[in-house]
Amino acid sequence: MQKDKHMRNGTPLLLLAATALACVACLTNWGAGTAPAASLEATDSGAPSAMVIFPVGAKPNTEGAAMKPVLFNHLVHEKKIENCESCHHTGEPVACTSCHTVEGTPDGKFVTLERAMHADRPAKRENGNTPQSCVSCHTEQLARRECAGCHALVKPARNEEWCKACHNVTSNITKDDVHQGAAGKLVSERNEALAAETLIGRRDVSYLTPTDGPYKVKIDAVAEKYEPSLFTHRRHVNSLMERIKDDKLAKAFHTSPETLCSVCHHKSPLSSTPPKCASCHSPRIDPGHPERPHLKAAYHLQCMGCHTGMKVGRPLNTSCTTCHKERAPQSADQPGGAK
Amino acid sequence: MNRRKFLTILGSAGVASALSTARVANASGGTTTWPYYENSYGVLHDTTRCIGCRRCEEGCNKVNGLPKPKKPFSDLSVTETRRRTSAYEWTVVNKYEVNGKPVFRKQQCFHCNDPACASACFAKCFQKQPDGSVTYDGSQCVGCRYCMIACPFYAPGFEYDKAWDPLVQKCTFCEPRMKEGKLPGCIEACPIDALTFGRRSDLIKIARARMHENPGKYADYIYGEWDAGGTAWMVLAPSPEAAAASGHEFADLGLDTHLGNRPIGELTYGALSAVPMIVAFWPVLFGGAYAMTKRREAMHKAEQEAVAREAGEDVAAAVAAAVRKIEETQGRSAADTARAAMADALKAREAACAHAGEDK
Repeated sequence: MQKDKHMRNGTPLLLLAATALACVACLTNWGAGTAPAASLEATDSGAPSAMVIFPVGAKPNTEGAAMKPVLFNHLVHEKKIENCESCHHTGEPVACTSCHTVEGTPDGKFVTLERAMHADRPAKRENGNTPQSCVSCHTEQLARRECAGCHALVKPARNEEWCKACHNVTSNITKDDVHQGAAGKLVSERNEALAAETLIGRRDVSYLTPTDGPYKVKIDAVAEKYEPSLFTHRRHVNSLMERIKDDKLAKAFHTSPETLCSVCHHKSPLSSTPPKCASCHSPRIDPGHPERPHLKAAYHLQCMGCHTGMKVGRPLNTSCTTCHKERAPQSADQPGGAK
Repeated sequence: MNRRKFLTILGSAGVASALSTARVANASGGTTTWPYYENSYGVLHDTTRCIGCRRCEEGCNKVNGLPKPKKPFSDLSVTETRRRTSAYEWTVVNKYEVNGKPVFRKQQCFHCNDPACASACFAKCFQKQPDGSVTYDGSQCVGCRYCMIACPFYAPGFEYDKAWDPLVQKCTFCEPRMKEGKLPGCIEACPIDALTFGRRSDLIKIARARMHENPGKYADYIYGEWDAGGTAWMVLAPSPEAAAASGHEFADLGLDTHLGNRPIGELTYGALSAVPMIVAFWPVLFGGAYAMTKRREAMHKAEQEAVAREAGEDVAAAVAAAVRKIEETQGRSAADTARAAMADALKAREAACAHAGEDK
């Protein structure tokens, strides 16, 4: 496999750069490319609809060893972002890699390709336009209401999977393509053909459906002052899915069928049959794991965290009896939410 | 026993007592526990989690057998006012506003690593325990309330309503419960882990981990990690939103951000530690100085008297010689007259001298 060879070659800079590139491509949305190359929807600006961004550097490897290039869907981004200068921060509609290379160039003020694509918080420019990186702009999107619920609880782990979301092009790319691309010499027709092929080859991930999970879940492990809570599991999953049904960003980045499940059923391997919460969260405070909320707190943190993030006004955090019915013999003097 | 021996004994007794006072102070833990006990416990209060349900107040009230408050704990409107802890409410939850959103913060004794209350108490009622709590033993309390003035968090309260033996009261960190292996009442009552109990050193790591895992959620500061020399209870605050970055997240939560990072007691330890020395040595020092002055005066007087006596003898000899000469030249009767006259004159002079001496 080409990829394995690259990895073994281990030129970290190249890898990073390509990550960056791949990111860009990935951020692009691949739902759009269902037509053959020739019939990709044209852009208003006249730029290619999709392109492959290579880790352009001063020392391209003849073996084609480099970070996996990134598919960038220019069309989708162009439609979403009104101001071209958000990305083309100099005002010139040129390729990123003309200034930002793997090693950095004086023209790009030695901001490397990796940084240009991945900087979390680009330093605010004193005059002029503060550029966005792929990562910084996409991270901002997590604050959107439909995303904020889950992403208040879960920030994407920056592991191999995270890189792969963008650094992912068609397997038909040849060593020579990569070599040419990394040297900045790949002809644009070939580049666009590769991009189109990648885009068309992409398929939306098929999520688990709400009906794959239970209908209702009775949460009664720690019930003492209140009756057990009846959690409408299916309704909740349904509501989440409904909100991101047509969201291209979500489609691009939620890459496995269990992605949505893994927000609440976190920290265990992705699975359609996740372990019980009590597997890790003990009913009483566990002095051995002060960092781990006890079961009651774990439920409350998940429920309230998501509801707050999504700005679900109701129920109030302190309105215990909305979720738990009051237990009859209990004195009426008990606020707070026990489960 | 002469004076010198007496002074020697007195002085050495003073030194010995001063030294033993110092040793007792060290042995009983004193007030200085800097650096803090490594394995002590603490609590991390995450205000981004707190929902203001007042369950901690209720739990505290219950386990400590405090009097029932006028308004029930289910009345959450009391959090709107800026309440303070008192002798009968050892913890209170108040509502603050950060970035225009309500944030709740629990207030109680922070259980300082090096408590200011202990440094101010001359009856040694307060003590930092190895488990992290700052305990109060009222058996020696004189009710001076210096501790209440010294505390930078206004935590101790006074039983003003008690006519007999009113005591200072504050959060005990449920030290009696901890000794039994139980958790503090408030910690057990919190339904959302806004209060995390653990070793202080672990809590700092947990706090940093939360900041790391949730970029942009927290202000990048652990209140109490260093404030006032470090406290067992620590607070996390929500980060200011980028646009409204005031940098006063903790001040907005009613926390004093100007306590510095050294124990408050350090300001007074130097002066207060000198007190036993002064008590022991000043009587000796000034007593000795007084005795020495007195002795010098006495010696001076004796010397003067000797000189005067010598001078008197000289005069008598001169008179005798003069009288003898008069006897040889002018006969016995003239000599007698002269002797009598000179004796009178000397007597008159001595009398005058003595008179003057008395005046002195």
